[in-house]
Amino acid sequence: MTDFDLVWKNLFRKPLRTILLTVSIFMAFLIFGILTSLNVALDRASESGSASNRLVVSNKINFTQSMPYAYVNRVAAIPGVTAVTYQNWFGAYYQDQRTSRFVGFAVDPETYMAIFRDEARLTDAERQAFLTERTGVIVGKSLADRYGWKVGQTIPISSNIYSQANGRRSWDMKISGIFTGAKPTDPTTAIYFHYDYMNETITFERDQVGTITVVTASPDQNDQVAKAIDANFANSPAETSTVDEKTFSRAFLKQAGDLNFIVTMVVSAAFAAILMIVSTTLVSAMRERTKEIGVMKTLGFSSPRVLRMVLGEAVLLSSLGAVLGLGTSAFILTGLSKSPVGSSFGDLSMSPVVALSGLALAVSLGLVTGAIPALSALRMSIIEALNRG
Amino acid sequence: MSALIQLKNVKKTYKRGKESITIFDGLNLTIEQGDFVAIMGPSGSGKTTLLNLLGGTDRSDSGEINFDGERIDGYNEGQLAGWRARSVGFIFQFYNLMPVLNAAQNVELPLMLTKLSAGKRRANVETALKIVGLWDRAKHRPKELSGGQQQRVAIARAIVSDPKFLLCDEPTGDLDRNTANDILGTLQQLNQEMGKTIVMVTHDPEAARFAKRTLHLDKGVFAEVTQ
Amino acid sequence: MSLLNQTGSVIAMNVRSIPQRLWMSLATVGSIALVVAVLLGFLALANGFNQTLKGSGAPDVAIALRDGSGSELNSVVSREQIDLLGQGPGVRAGPDGRPLISAELVLIVDGIKKSTATKANMPLRGIGPNGLLVRPQAKITQGRMFAPGSNEIVVGAGLLREFSGFELGKTLRFGAQTWKVVGVFEAPGTVFESELWADAPVIQSLFNRGSTFQTARVGLTSPAAMPAFVKYVKDEQRLQLKAQSEQTYFADQAERSGLLIKYFGWPLGIIMAIGALAGALNTMYASVSSRAAEIATLRVIGFSGFSAFIGTMVEALVLSALGALVGVAICAMGFNGLSASTLGAGFTQVAFRLQIGPDIITQAVTLALIIGLIGGIFPGLRASQQRPLLALAT
Repeated sequence: MTDFDLVWKNLFRKPLRTILLTVSIFMAFLIFGILTSLNVALDRASESGSASNRLVVSNKINFTQSMPYAYVNRVAAIPGVTAVTYQNWFGAYYQDQRTSRFVGFAVDPETYMAIFRDEARLTDAERQAFLTERTGVIVGKSLADRYGWKVGQTIPISSNIYSQANGRRSWDMKISGIFTGAKPTDPTTAIYFHYDYMNETITFERDQVGTITVVTASPDQNDQVAKAIDANFANSPAETSTVDEKTFSRAFLKQAGDLNFIVTMVVSAAFAAILMIVSTTLVSAMRERTKEIGVMKTLGFSSPRVLRMVLGEAVLLSSLGAVLGLGTSAFILTGLSKSPVGSSFGDLSMSPVVALSGLALAVSLGLVTGAIPALSALRMSIIEALNRG
Repeated sequence: MSALIQLKNVKKTYKRGKESITIFDGLNLTIEQGDFVAIMGPSGSGKTTLLNLLGGTDRSDSGEINFDGERIDGYNEGQLAGWRARSVGFIFQFYNLMPVLNAAQNVELPLMLTKLSAGKRRANVETALKIVGLWDRAKHRPKELSGGQQQRVAIARAIVSDPKFLLCDEPTGDLDRNTANDILGTLQQLNQEMGKTIVMVTHDPEAARFAKRTLHLDKGVFAEVTQ
Repeated sequence: MSLLNQTGSVIAMNVRSIPQRLWMSLATVGSIALVVAVLLGFLALANGFNQTLKGSGAPDVAIALRDGSGSELNSVVSREQIDLLGQGPGVRAGPDGRPLISAELVLIVDGIKKSTATKANMPLRGIGPNGLLVRPQAKITQGRMFAPGSNEIVVGAGLLREFSGFELGKTLRFGAQTWKVVGVFEAPGTVFESELWADAPVIQSLFNRGSTFQTARVGLTSPAAMPAFVKYVKDEQRLQLKAQSEQTYFADQAERSGLLIKYFGWPLGIIMAIGALAGALNTMYASVSSRAAEIATLRVIGFSGFSAFIGTMVEALVLSALGALVGVAICAMGFNGLSASTLGAGFTQVAFRLQIGPDIITQAVTLALIIGLIGGIFPGLRASQQRPLLALAT
């Protein structure tokens, strides 16, 4: 028999009590695992596909305001800029506006694929097809899977912004290729098609671009290039705001609300609740064992060793709940990743960082909840302990 | 025979609120190696305090406590714990077995304080349980055992690490006469055949008869000695 | 003693014994309070957002958008279409005797969200003189209304609360133009409070919108006139617009915020409730086992097992009711009226206040009492099965 055996046996002295405590802890870690992973996934989504030497130029008034097409070449001419491409948000949906909206951009295929070669991976044949087919569209693998789209098929893509001069609101597009992400976990729920095809058919906002993506010679020049671009268009009807890609997408995500704050509040509330439940229950459980602890000490178990055992029991309890809770949330997250809603977040699966911080949290929880009973066990005099009960 | 335990001029005072109660004011006691001493006395005579001092679970205010040539009164708490683990086997009135452990595991408990190998531990547990005649109950939990059986397991726990000294606090206080006699017979056997030095606090004159000698404690003083 | 008397005295004994398990009982109360607070927080968030959307729509104002566009941002309405709308049935006449139609356009400008210090989308709405007439809730509370034809802006009080950059007296730059904030308006409990308003023709010319608008709000003589007007817009081939009551328009948007509660608030509340339930069960089992001797003694005297059951049950319910009370108090003091903002259906920020109402308090308290009920049933059954003998045996 080892100290661990003893701790383990003590932990399950009243199995029902231990199971109930484990359930409490399990629930808290379930909340922690899922919410933290969602938060991490959102953070990552804002960074995925953002390269450190890429800038986004948008209208200074707001990124939904467009800029004249002429800006593209003017930006390209600014020193330090090595490549540019541009895109227009299309408000794309397929068949049903309410339920099947997705990310859709009108792009310039050649420059777009040159810059985003890694983010939207295509075979050479697909790339060639996309360049040459005026009505061509490349679609993300997740979307293709969801709607059963095949290469070569023609699909009607509608816009909740634009309409065609002929009155139609959908554009027939021929699938040139199905792209995958740089990593298998990157979200692939977007479509990209020819800017020219859109521009020639829309009724308003012709020859306007939404945002311009700029590649700089090196990240060190980002600030300088961004300043140069914005200075170039200062005092024009469409002034620009140029920031790096990461800042751009992060600001966009933050618009929904401060998710970090909500997650922190909910997780804290859950942990405050189990902290109260577990520590008070452990205190009362340890009080029942006062005499046994006195006996252990009489037999010659040193106070520090008794302290370690009591703390060990609390840590074991919280780790048990934590491992089950984190495991279950990992399982749920995997399931969620495969659902249509979840897949737009990209990789939802639990990152090692979340798992490790969960375990660290479990150990701290154990130490905190075990602290009061452990200290009282440490200080308990043998005589008092044996006289009680 | 040499002295195993020697108390010299031991003083002990308790504070209860503002009142201080003197239990011992210069107690002397010598217990020889291989002795079996019963200590009797009315409530408040200092029996329990003496037991705690002998077992190293309480400290004297002054005086010397020697055990087998060591002065244990100067030990710190950790040293005392180590000394108890090595040298003293405890037997309590209410057995004080761990309810979550079976008989064999309860007996093994003091061996967790030694560096013995698992195999050696198992052998020692088996020997101790066989001495008290309960090897066939090794896998039973305390609540599945009778009072007498539980006390036997407690005796096995006390002797498993082979201490020289057994300290018993009313070991038969909770048992019927026949069972009590069985337990006392076992203690006598341990004293005679294995040479354990035993100090037993008891209320029961019948129990005291199993000892080699009886000390009567009254108001902190040994009043009378019966051989 | 009657069963009623028996039960009454057992309940009293139970409740009086709570202080003996003070810390565990407090933990139960505390954990239930936290469950209630978290659930109520989410419910209040959604409730506040919904109330704001619902409060924004009037039943006697029709909103006309381009057929197929889900929100104002994606809509286009021309001068000719607006004139046609004025010929519809049931259109109220304005003070000038002409149809009460507010032709409006909305574009998005950047503001800085105070809570995250990041850029956020603010709606800049161009309105005419009728803009205020179709929104009787709105009043200028500081400064004055913008002067027609000038680069002046009035700002909603809700927007000021949540975003910086639009304080009264400030000069703003959109593109090459500068604007001056000359007034603050309040339209309590509506989305309009999260908007910037300026003169429609000025916005049309400075933002190159020609003479197009995005929406028309049409004042009708009464809510009863709505169906006929909606039908007129649908049937008039030259319009190609879709009209609906403003009330319906915002109610549809409110529907979506229900998702937050459905997929986030309730699952979280329930997961936390199960955790708290486990704690409550532990406390109640501890209560029963610490009073085992007492219960057994009562049974020997002749008390029924049922009274022991009810006693435990009531103790659990008292603890959960206390927890609910504390949870509601936390929300009422900490969250109620708290200002927040999120991206609304129009792709712009909507500022709103968290709002606790009787219906959502009822929902959260019900959850707490369910915890108490389940937390009391099983330990109560154990108490009722306590054999009378045990007291004598020990």
